[in-house]
Amino acid sequence: MTRSLPDQSLGPEWTILELLARGIIDDSEVQMVRDLLTTDTLKWGELLEQALRHKMFPMLAHQIMSASLRFDVPTNIYMHLESALEWNRWQIEVMLAHQIMSASLRFDVPTNIYMHLESALEWNRWQIEVFRRETVRVAQALADRGIPFVVTKGMAFESTLYDSLGTRYMNDIDFMITPRDRDKVMTVMQELGFRPFFDWAKDARREEISSRLNPDHLPKLAREIDQPGIRLIDIDIANSLTWTKSPFDVPVEEALENPVEQPIPGMSGVNIPCFRPIYQFLFTVLHLFREAWLQKFVESGTDVGLMKFGDVIRLIDRNQNKLTDSELLRIMQTHGVTDAVAWVLRHMDETFHTHAVELLALEKHGNEKLLRSQMRSPGYVNAWSESMRGRLQSKSRGSVRPVAPAHRGS
Amino acid sequence: MDDITTQFEECLRRHLRSAKPNPINYDVELVQLGLDSMTAVAVLMDMEKTFGIRFPDDMLVEGTFRTAGRLKEAVQLLRERQAS
Repeated sequence: MTRSLPDQSLGPEWTILELLARGIIDDSEVQMVRDLLTTDTLKWGELLEQALRHKMFPMLAHQIMSASLRFDVPTNIYMHLESALEWNRWQIEVMLAHQIMSASLRFDVPTNIYMHLESALEWNRWQIEVFRRETVRVAQALADRGIPFVVTKGMAFESTLYDSLGTRYMNDIDFMITPRDRDKVMTVMQELGFRPFFDWAKDARREEISSRLNPDHLPKLAREIDQPGIRLIDIDIANSLTWTKSPFDVPVEEALENPVEQPIPGMSGVNIPCFRPIYQFLFTVLHLFREAWLQKFVESGTDVGLMKFGDVIRLIDRNQNKLTDSELLRIMQTHGVTDAVAWVLRHMDETFHTHAVELLALEKHGNEKLLRSQMRSPGYVNAWSESMRGRLQSKSRGSVRPVAPAHRGS
Repeated sequence: MDDITTQFEECLRRHLRSAKPNPINYDVELVQLGLDSMTAVAVLMDMEKTFGIRFPDDMLVEGTFRTAGRLKEAVQLLRERQAS
């Protein structure tokens, strides 16, 4: 499908990231990214900071390297005081540098941006390798006990949607189980050496209360490991496609039926169960809806980013046949999630110039009031008038307050 | 047991914007006074600190803090349990 190129009103830095998030599909887009990356007015500090905010650093690195732009990247930027100040803002990179140094890896501190990006990409690839091994370890333990589950999000997508290039960033490894297996799974995870993440949290009691009040997930689990650059592996286990008492949900038991076996790159004969495409799409979209629609994620600075939309765009691109037959619409209507899906796809189309609403025949669906709302707490919604594009680009989303008081709603 | 009303209401007012200028209606849902999922955590933590209690896991559910009245009952119950 030919897509219009994004407008550049938010600057070349943002345009580059929008293009990368939705995926480069033809020569005109390749050329546009190249032109933008080599434009004299490009602000590298802004580009790198936004790439970090949206978990796109490895993807940007890959793009620059694969486009042979090494000598087009300005090598003197690091000499400027401004860039030194910018470096301090890239907290993840500071943390990364610390991890690498404390792991006694003989990586030199990059002396220019190209080297910096290269090491970020390589580190991401290494982390994915470690995550793959841990995923298989947990998956085998759950399978051995006959517990139904699937692996979701980054680990499921990095090989199927991102071609195992090491460009899909992951914070953790995600699984989905049914609510009835929560206790059994917790026991398995403890046997594997995982403990609730409260133990490492700055405020353990806050984490614990928050986790108990939101039983759509097990408490976040972590295990200390001894791998260069990686000290802790986090695992997030959900038992709902959305959230506790959500008015929009698909039964997890149904979604877990007939999973597909997905190979793990580099591990011959090893497969992990993942959602079949229709439920993979529904989960991904509804999960994005959760992070974008619930006010608490905005206030905690953990709401939706470019890459979450990138996942949806790629899922649609690669599964068009399976998503455009009548089964998807029937499932959405059966469970009353059509408006929530339309919410995501309409914001996505407006932001990325995609045509998902039309492709999935959802033009007649979607609720205008819902589209311009956010949920504050169960049963209460706020009006929300921002554009998704402006919201994604904003660096101070948490400070944006609703335009009207909460009222009872969906 | 001492009357906890003053301390209890001060605690709510520290977190709920809509509770600040007005008398607290103990029957109204706290979400109408500005409670959301993040302030709920903050309110419960503040109650624990203020009254030296700890909400057990089975009380960490929405019903415990649906209204100011319900929450006050829970706090009083935990204080009594602790005292006995």
